[in-house]
Amino acid sequence: MQKQNTITTDRDAVVFGDSVRDVSKKTITVAVAGNPNSGKTTVFNALTGARQHVGNYPGVTVDKVEGICKYKGYEIELVDLPGTYSLTAFSIEEVVARNFIVDENPDVVVDIVDSSNLERNLYLATQLVEMNVPLVLAFNMTDIVERRGIVFDNAMLSKFFNASIVPIVGKKAKGLDKLLDAVIETAENPRPKDDHIVHYGDEVEEELTKIQNLLTGEHYLVEKYGSRWLALKLLEQDKDILDKGHKPEVIDAVAKSVRHLTKITGEDPEITVASQRYGFISGACEETVRGSVELRHSRSDLVDKVVLNRVLAIPIFAGLMYGVFKLTFTIGEPFMGIIEGFFGWLSTAITGLWPAGSESALKSLIVDGVIGGVGGVIVFVPNIMLLFLAIAILEDSGYMARAAFIMDRVMHKIGLHGKSFIPMLIGFGCSVPAIMGTRVLENRRSRLTTILVIPLMSCGARLPIYILLIPAFFAAKWHGLVMWSMYMIGIILAIVCAKLLRNTLFKGETLPFVMELPPFRVPTLRGVLTHMWQRSWMYLKKAGTILLGISIILWAATSYPKPAEEKLAGLSAEQAQTVQLRHSLAGRVGSVMEIAVKPLGFDYRIGTALIGALAAKEVFVAQMGIVYSLGDSEGSSQTLREKLANNYSPLQGFCIMLFCLISAPCMATLAICKRETGSWRWALFQFCGLTVLAYIVTLVVYQIGSLIIA
Amino acid sequence: MMVRTEKLSASLEDYLEAIFWIAQSKGAARAKDIAKRLCVKASSVTGALQSLGEKKYVNYAPYDVITLTSEGLEVAKKVVRRHQILKDFFVDVLGVDADIADEGACSLEHSIPRTVVERLVDFMEFMEVCPRGGKDWLKGFADQCNAQKKHNCEKCMDACLKKFRKEKQIMITEEKTTTVADLKPKQKGVVIKINRRGAIAKRLAEMGIGRGTLVEFERVAPLGDPIDIKVKGYHLSLRKSEAADIIISAK
Ligand SMILES: Nc1nc2c(ncn2[C@@H]2O[C@H](COP(=O)(O)OP(=O)(O)O)[C@@H](O)[C@H]2O)c(=O)[nH]1
Repeated sequence: MQKQNTITTDRDAVVFGDSVRDVSKKTITVAVAGNPNSGKTTVFNALTGARQHVGNYPGVTVDKVEGICKYKGYEIELVDLPGTYSLTAFSIEEVVARNFIVDENPDVVVDIVDSSNLERNLYLATQLVEMNVPLVLAFNMTDIVERRGIVFDNAMLSKFFNASIVPIVGKKAKGLDKLLDAVIETAENPRPKDDHIVHYGDEVEEELTKIQNLLTGEHYLVEKYGSRWLALKLLEQDKDILDKGHKPEVIDAVAKSVRHLTKITGEDPEITVASQRYGFISGACEETVRGSVELRHSRSDLVDKVVLNRVLAIPIFAGLMYGVFKLTFTIGEPFMGIIEGFFGWLSTAITGLWPAGSESALKSLIVDGVIGGVGGVIVFVPNIMLLFLAIAILEDSGYMARAAFIMDRVMHKIGLHGKSFIPMLIGFGCSVPAIMGTRVLENRRSRLTTILVIPLMSCGARLPIYILLIPAFFAAKWHGLVMWSMYMIGIILAIVCAKLLRNTLFKGETLPFVMELPPFRVPTLRGVLTHMWQRSWMYLKKAGTILLGISIILWAATSYPKPAEEKLAGLSAEQAQTVQLRHSLAGRVGSVMEIAVKPLGFDYRIGTALIGALAAKEVFVAQMGIVYSLGDSEGSSQTLREKLANNYSPLQGFCIMLFCLISAPCMATLAICKRETGSWRWALFQFCGLTVLAYIVTLVVYQIGSLIIA
Repeated sequence: MMVRTEKLSASLEDYLEAIFWIAQSKGAARAKDIAKRLCVKASSVTGALQSLGEKKYVNYAPYDVITLTSEGLEVAKKVVRRHQILKDFFVDVLGVDADIADEGACSLEHSIPRTVVERLVDFMEFMEVCPRGGKDWLKGFADQCNAQKKHNCEKCMDACLKKFRKEKQIMITEEKTTTVADLKPKQKGVVIKINRRGAIAKRLAEMGIGRGTLVEFERVAPLGDPIDIKVKGYHLSLRKSEAADIIISAK
């Protein structure tokens, strides 16, 4: 907020000041790079305020946040690059960040450097310098540095890195004016380029020159990347760059150089290059950083002593996770009620627009299709926002990395990564945010595996099904056990499936657990809210639109074709609904499905209800209610539970729950899976795979169960 | 120390050597023992002893036991050592039988210049340690001399390389190395090398773990697997399997 004020005053000063410059339209594009946890988001938010736009980098599910900042008559367009430690092709984020810089050619790149962790953060800066981009280094977290009594010689560092250096405190929006000044200065008068700051040692330099000389033939690439950088990347065996269609002699020369260097140094050239960069950084820091007495016990270390204590760690972790659920589902409850109430009121109000008792396709579409569908999404919004709030707090404070640290042992056993644990846990609440939460996984194989098994975590929407069926078929003393067994079956299947997938489709080394444990920091309210809002909005927008379409289709399937008028004559509204359902496409499919579901112990009624459950699991309960009101002319003397108990055996009841647990995830999950994996292929694979699995498991249980009982 | 520059003749050196050996076994020497050992007449022994006594190499009085003075001992030891060296060279390097070697040593020990002897010593020491030579090489030479077997050069060189690597490994381990996975909380070490190739090695290098980096072990995760280490002032977690490939010198 403060920032915005200064921006306006500054602008006014220019507009009304004596120096009359052309302030009408001067645009500077700025890419904001930085290590994860360097305070990039904080600085970005402080610079752009609410003027942000969240999108996607083409082809990948990496958020692209853009914003605009007006300063001294300039319109500065900022793009937040994904947080990375390096610019090699290690992860999607790194490739995205690098490609953006190369392809979009921003006027200035601002690298947010966590100056309390200078050496590691300067590694990225070194690579940016080597890319020959106009660079400004924003030394963030200078408040911490000051507290530790460390002093930098910024002028000298600036010479070493051939870039302006501006000390800032992102959290308090301090120094941002100077940062923007430096950005403008760099955009207007870029420094002479110097991609030679690091000397890689005579052997490497020799090979670099050899390759560079050959590259002159590849003009288009050299022009884009610069010959030294290109040669360096080739020597580093960068897959992305190696695939750029080089001439065979270049590829040969590179292979030869790599072999030569490997022989001399006994390590891969990329390792030598990385060590040399760090060597350069250490040298630069030695000359410019004063009083770096390392604080043995920072506050964060003290927190770690408790939070990662061998005895306390797991209870604290379990407690926090419980807290997250409690927060999400207890506090969310009343809001959910309000929203449901609102949509109930809305549909009554809209129904009221038509004369009572009249049938209108449009009315039905709006009330049952649109409001039903949109309501279905919106109803989860409070839960999802609260969940994202909790996750944002855990993430911004630095606890999330610790959670992965604590759980990695278990997750590694089933071929996943410590970071997979949190999304799977969230899956017990709702698969949609859980699947979105898998973004923290860098490796696509691990991420896809996690996404595919998440629906096996019995989500909140399955609860109504259990609540309906368990008391109908089982004596009170078994209730708890049956419920527990449903959750356990889900977990066991998830473990089995994860292991299976990792050994077949997603074979490969598990993601290394080389992960930073960032220092604990008190998160800022603004940062947490921004994170929460961005994710919630994404959920609403993408899942919402797809879900709306699907619910309209489902509505049509359960409404059409209509039975003849005379068939409905003399029936109660509820009975009419049942007849109509049987006559509809969904009803007919349900009847046809009877042949298929018979071996599972299901009849057409369950089949029809299962189709409804595709939209959302809890719809199954409502559908069963509709189906069972058929032929109930003397009024409902029996409750649904009693009817069910009369019609099916406990084994059948158990099989229904089993099938609901495992089978096809709901439409929202399907939609989010498509969005997060980037293709319908995986979404459909998950949908069909789980349904087949459900079919097989239920078949086995029912058939074997029948034999035992008989 | 050697103030006296006069040289002893060859036979006097023989006498000193003989007295040294007799004194070694019996504590003190008698004239007849010396005569017996050197196969000379007792009268020549008396003359030689008188001459050595004058030069203060032996404590000599007629009919008494003979002992070496400190100077005498010094010279005797040198002669003995020269003899031993020559004998060793003949036996160990040239593969000559011990008796013939003794004879050869006796005849050479007085005339051979000191520098040559010293070189022979250096050479033998070099043979002992040089991976390209060593005992195997000498054995090859001995085999060649005896024309027992045809020497297989390739095999020999392979074996030689293998041995060299093994020795180097031992030398490194003797430098007290350990791995990051084996550290205890609060222990530190400097990275010597990373026994891994590929993506993980690269990631480690990019995160600042390279040769010479100081690594401090912080803690093990509660369930016993990933570990938490401190590098370049920040915390990094690794699985033990990854940490076991980071070789460090224990401090
Ligand atoms: N002490 C201090 N903390 C900061 C500063 N800038 C950001 N932070 C905190 O650092 C943490 C990480 O910030 P964030 O912007 O989420 O980092 P990102 O991962 O790079 O986007 C948050 O808890 C911020 O509140 C700063 O200048 N000083």
